[in-house]
Amino acid sequence: MYLRPRVIPCLLLKNNGLVKTVKFKDPRYLGDPINAVRIFNEKYVDELAILDIVATKEKRSPNLELLSRIAAEAFMPMCYGGGISTLDEVKIILGMGFEKVVINTSAVKNPMLIQEASGHFGSQSIVVSIDVKKNFFGKYRAYINCGEVATDYDPAELARKVEQLGAGEIFLNSIDKDGTMSGYDLGLIKKVSESVGIPVIACGGARNVDDLSMALHNGKADAMAAGSMFVYYGKHKAVLITFPNEEELIKAGVFT
Amino acid sequence: MKEYQVCNRCIMDTSDSEITFDEYGVCNHCRNFDENIRPRWFPNEQGQQMLLSIVEKIKQENKNNDYDCIIGLSGGVDSSFLAYKAVQMGLRLLAVHVDAGWNSEIAVRNIENICKKLNIDLYTHVVDWEEVAEVQRAFLLSGVANQDTPQDHAFFAGLYNYAVKNNVKYVLSGLNFATEGILPASWGYMAMDLKQVEGIYDRFGRKPLKTFPKVSLFKYLVYYPYIKGMKVIAPLNYMPYDKDEAIKIMAKEFSWQYYGGKHFESRFTKFFQAYYLPAKFGYDKRRAHLSSLIVSGQLTRQEALIEIEKELYPIEQLQEDKEYVLKKLDLTTQEFDEIMKSPNKTFRDYPSNHYLLEKLRTIRGLLKK
Repeated sequence: MYLRPRVIPCLLLKNNGLVKTVKFKDPRYLGDPINAVRIFNEKYVDELAILDIVATKEKRSPNLELLSRIAAEAFMPMCYGGGISTLDEVKIILGMGFEKVVINTSAVKNPMLIQEASGHFGSQSIVVSIDVKKNFFGKYRAYINCGEVATDYDPAELARKVEQLGAGEIFLNSIDKDGTMSGYDLGLIKKVSESVGIPVIACGGARNVDDLSMALHNGKADAMAAGSMFVYYGKHKAVLITFPNEEELIKAGVFT
Repeated sequence: MKEYQVCNRCIMDTSDSEITFDEYGVCNHCRNFDENIRPRWFPNEQGQQMLLSIVEKIKQENKNNDYDCIIGLSGGVDSSFLAYKAVQMGLRLLAVHVDAGWNSEIAVRNIENICKKLNIDLYTHVVDWEEVAEVQRAFLLSGVANQDTPQDHAFFAGLYNYAVKNNVKYVLSGLNFATEGILPASWGYMAMDLKQVEGIYDRFGRKPLKTFPKVSLFKYLVYYPYIKGMKVIAPLNYMPYDKDEAIKIMAKEFSWQYYGGKHFESRFTKFFQAYYLPAKFGYDKRRAHLSSLIVSGQLTRQEALIEIEKELYPIEQLQEDKEYVLKKLDLTTQEFDEIMKSPNKTFRDYPSNHYLLEKLRTIRGLLKK
């Protein structure tokens, strides 16, 4: 039996459509989220992350109608993030069948939410995402509000803090690497994953299975998420949903 | 009420309201195939020579360009096999896939395998899903038979517009007489007639269309071919093309997988062809498809008669697909049942350029004589 670290396609929602960004900007339309989820179903993907990238910016709560349609379509465990700011929303989304919720802005603005939510629903269902960008001086900083507002937090420091508050997992997203398909920021991943005891999901920059392997072995990530790699093909970045098969993951050393 | 009759040569029957039979009980589709299609079909040595000279001309004209031609790739049998053949002939292809929101997993996997194994560059035009859904919803509400028009129009318009915009003159098409030689006009309507698309949408659509790919008949018939020099070539008509054989070759060469029915690579097309058309109109598209294979010599009439008796749509699968299609198109079960029960309409009940097309056909016929 192989050891199978999780490999997680990360799908971004904008309005009712699926998009892919580059460095959290220039969202490119990829099509109908329902159909994409269905294709990932049939590719036997282990887990899926769905993130609404405009909910917080638009100061609105999650699009529950769309989420329930997505949840009804998916067979695999899914986590949802975007615009969650109340305990009630966490309850509704978990009730739909999402395994986990992802919280970003509210984790900084209202840390009590993490404590309350993990107390109510268990740490395993509360993920905190940390969006990271290097500042002018080359220092890592955690960002909130869809990557638009800088905080004073160093990502490792914020990770430790939310771990103490009860978060069960860190979704670590590199804004500088997002959509660039230039490899993960291994230093960042290592730094954060060595600072906490809870699992760290690395995201941002993956271009192929070797990158997944590097994030796992060199970056010490517990799971690897990626966007572009699973929705783009070739030099014209043709939209084409894909997922590596077991042999490819074994060959690259992701499954060992 | 016309008496039920099946052609003695193919298996077309009186479910085509416009079918006629001669004194030997052979239908007009068979005669049309012999008289009008066979002379333009070269599955032989002669075709190979003709194709070779076309390919040489394409290569010559494009030696300074990145690509020789564009090929529309759906992941289905015809376009996949065409891509394979074109690469064998040394053409540098740009595959264009138009994604209208109904791709099956098999379709996207086939596309990926083809492009990877044959080393073909790919470009995808993703059509705004909410607009596709609106157009398809409008067509369902209109009650016409030609429910493939919204997708087909988007596919071809997307492909042709991209070719013209990027100055690629040659478009390879998977259209072929070997598997598509028989298709009764009464069962569908020409998807390129934008007047029909817009006419039906004006009546049943709910919001303006902003990005849905469109191409007018003028552009398609005059501007693109005569002013921009776009040429659509159907290479499968210049070679022996046996569907079963093609599937075997592709499975071996690039793990291509069959999805169990002509055009079933799209979930909507499957539901439309295997349920909507037979249940509402009594049209079983397999009949036309199997008849095409008979007249092109790939299947005996006996084999076709056995094939057509097979179950069209297992009930659990139909239920699952129906639920999925209606949910995607924002229709309730009641609304859909109402559509199935209301009187059948034809393309003639809505605006179209049918009259103009008939005139053009007559003029072209006269010019040929």
